[in-house]
Amino acid sequence: MNTGFPIRHILTGLLALAGLYLAFVLYRTGNVLIAFAVLVVTCLGVFIYLNASATTFRYLFPGFIGFGLFVLLPLVYTIYIGFTRYSSQNLLLFDRCVALFRNETYTLPNAVSYKYRLYAQDDGTYILYVEDEKNPARRFASDPFELIVSPKPKPPPEPVKLNALSASDQVQGKPMTIVQINRARLLSPLRGRAFVMPDDTLVAMAGLTNFTARERLWAQNPDGSLTNKKDGTVIRPDYKQGFFVNDKGERVGVGFRTFSGFENYSRIFTDPRIAAPFVRIFLWTVAFSAASAFLTFAVGMLLAVILEQKDLRFRKVYRTLFILPYAVPGVLSILILKGLFNQEFGAINEVLRAVFGFAPAWETNPWGARAMILLVNLWLGYPYMMLICTGMLQSIPSGIYEASAIDGSNARIDFFELTLPLVLPPMIPILISTFAFNFNNFNLIYLLTAGGPQMVGGAAGETDLLVTYTYNIAFRDSGTNYGLAGAIATLLFILVGILAWVNLKLTARQVKI
Amino acid sequence: MKRLPPEPQITAANKESAASDVKAAAGVGEQPVVSTPRAAARKIKPEQKAGIRQAISHVILICLLALVLVPYIMVVSASFRRGNYAPSGLLPDKVSLEHWKYVLGVPYEEIANPATGETHVVKAETPPLLWFWNSIKVSSIASVGIILLSGTAAYAFARLKFKFKSVTLSTLLILQMFPMVLALVAIYSILDFLGQYVRWLGLNTQPGLILVYLGGISGYIWMIKGYFETIPESMEESARIDGASQFQTFIRILLPMSLPIFAVVFILSFIAFMSEYPVASIVLQDRSNWTLAVGANSFLAEHEKLWGRFSALAVLSGLPITVMFLLCQKFIVGGLTSGGAKE
Repeated sequence: MNTGFPIRHILTGLLALAGLYLAFVLYRTGNVLIAFAVLVVTCLGVFIYLNASATTFRYLFPGFIGFGLFVLLPLVYTIYIGFTRYSSQNLLLFDRCVALFRNETYTLPNAVSYKYRLYAQDDGTYILYVEDEKNPARRFASDPFELIVSPKPKPPPEPVKLNALSASDQVQGKPMTIVQINRARLLSPLRGRAFVMPDDTLVAMAGLTNFTARERLWAQNPDGSLTNKKDGTVIRPDYKQGFFVNDKGERVGVGFRTFSGFENYSRIFTDPRIAAPFVRIFLWTVAFSAASAFLTFAVGMLLAVILEQKDLRFRKVYRTLFILPYAVPGVLSILILKGLFNQEFGAINEVLRAVFGFAPAWETNPWGARAMILLVNLWLGYPYMMLICTGMLQSIPSGIYEASAIDGSNARIDFFELTLPLVLPPMIPILISTFAFNFNNFNLIYLLTAGGPQMVGGAAGETDLLVTYTYNIAFRDSGTNYGLAGAIATLLFILVGILAWVNLKLTARQVKI
Repeated sequence: MKRLPPEPQITAANKESAASDVKAAAGVGEQPVVSTPRAAARKIKPEQKAGIRQAISHVILICLLALVLVPYIMVVSASFRRGNYAPSGLLPDKVSLEHWKYVLGVPYEEIANPATGETHVVKAETPPLLWFWNSIKVSSIASVGIILLSGTAAYAFARLKFKFKSVTLSTLLILQMFPMVLALVAIYSILDFLGQYVRWLGLNTQPGLILVYLGGISGYIWMIKGYFETIPESMEESARIDGASQFQTFIRILLPMSLPIFAVVFILSFIAFMSEYPVASIVLQDRSNWTLAVGANSFLAEHEKLWGRFSALAVLSGLPITVMFLLCQKFIVGGLTSGGAKE
């Protein structure tokens, strides 16, 4: 009955080959550690799928790989970033930072000048061709490279390699005239690129029509410092600041990433620009999550109880329609409600103005914005609670209500003294997980208010949750700080992790009863 | 009355605790019951009372239902209204199909200058319908991947014995609580690195995004494991005695019996991925690569809010998903009560 036997071996072999190839490529490009990790995982995979004693792990291995790569690894990396200085100021790895200095050039008087031509390739890349103006036998062509006008300032790209051409070699692609280059807006990206000759000297664009040889500005010294060849100044890396500094202690050039220990953590609690909003945001996050869990539960329960009346007509229709906010993709619902809550033109304020003569400031008043967020989250979240409560109500034997009816009870007493005590214990894990889910409800806040309105001082938004606050620290265009974001993310994870752990314990106890 | 699909854990625990409470309630009931005047009064007109209760119920339900339905009706009407105004009003005043044409990528004429009546042709550079298609592709492939990964792992957790089983599962569930948004820097770096070696798995590719989504399996493992545990092991045991291998009992016996839970996992993860915004917005940069969530939000940029186009796209893409969800409602409700929130 071992029909699947050879297939397993073939599949394992193919995957192992892919793994080995990847490890080889990684090793060749200098990522020795990562190559080793890939090798270890590949060997582990081969062992698990071929050795009879490891059958259990055959079922776990694929899941663990996915989980490890995209949950565990990012988690560990984020925690690690939390202990480093890593921001828009200290963006590059040390080696890249040094390479940047090494790419800085200056023109020597009477430097060699080159004619050039740009060849467009079919796949959107370009090849640069240069020819010595005085000695046309010296011809070079670059590897294909991309020229993109990026809207965001990025670290300058690596120099492109130029390869020597023999007299008979032709360059592939369509040659472009200077007018075409200009019209395609390629001039400025081209001017920003450096090209490196086979003998490791650099050439760069000098005018519209020619390239010139350039001299490297910084010479590397054995002790890690750099010497400016033009004026002779020496700069040294300061690993604490993450910058190169000159003899006067002034920073030179761009910063590099560096290990900073608990610096980010101490900033969270001591730097008033961070600590003050942090505490407020934390309190609002807790209040928002708790209120959301409670409100959705209350409304969901109410609907479940009403819809559980056996003699009610159209129960099925009602139930289906009430599930709608859960069935429609959340992103769409949030954006729709954002439109309705629009302060000036939104439908809600139009109605309120017409009927009651007042229009709450859902967008500019902090409390208005908070109320809106809770209302929207209630609207989005009650169907889930309704479904869960319905399931629980249906598992309560009807006998107990008959018994209490004989005892002279009424609907209110039934609910508060029989139903609720029965439903609440199994509800607690669900309430906690709802709390934890809302604690990190990024989509809702980001799409609905984007954290706004701004707090006085502008450090954060009044409706920011910790998760959106952290996201802004990491990704907002002005002054991204990955290190600080990593530290807050770690704290956040510890908080939510504890919640999840408590929740698991509670659930486990209930299952065992 | 229809019962919910068979449900593990919580419901089961419920029944037991409910049963013990029944005994308690019965104990109370054993006390001599004296017919009080109040109880007698209740028996006078039970039909009337039920009638009032029903009327009140209907009033509450209809009021709440109006709050739920009105926004959707408004969006449908906004998608048919000329001009890009925020949804308001139940019926469009100036009916126009311009937004639908835009979303479907059909060219249409728009008045460029009201004074002269001059018109120009508008056509979407990337038809927003493409975003919906991208989302369907990404979400369904990722969901199938999730089922493969979490289904096999759940089998190990439900049926096999290995060291540190419960600790491993708890660890998976706790680690999954780390919000993906905050790991974006790391995810970005990983994809960037991967893209240098395997270009079609890197940044700005849909396979790369799918790969990132495949990490989120813990909750689904928990769900499927719960379902597996409600299926008696005896059938698999007898198949083993007949000479079937472990893998065969898993594929041929357990899987066919567990199709409902896989349907639930597919739908829930599909909807979760359809709604996922932050990761998709960072990973996918080209307009033609965008998913529905990223594209829909792009219509509502701070400086120019194109509500009409957004509404048409929302209706077009929201409708099929909603209908699919409602059709599978029965399964989903069962799956939900087995634990794990919608994320």
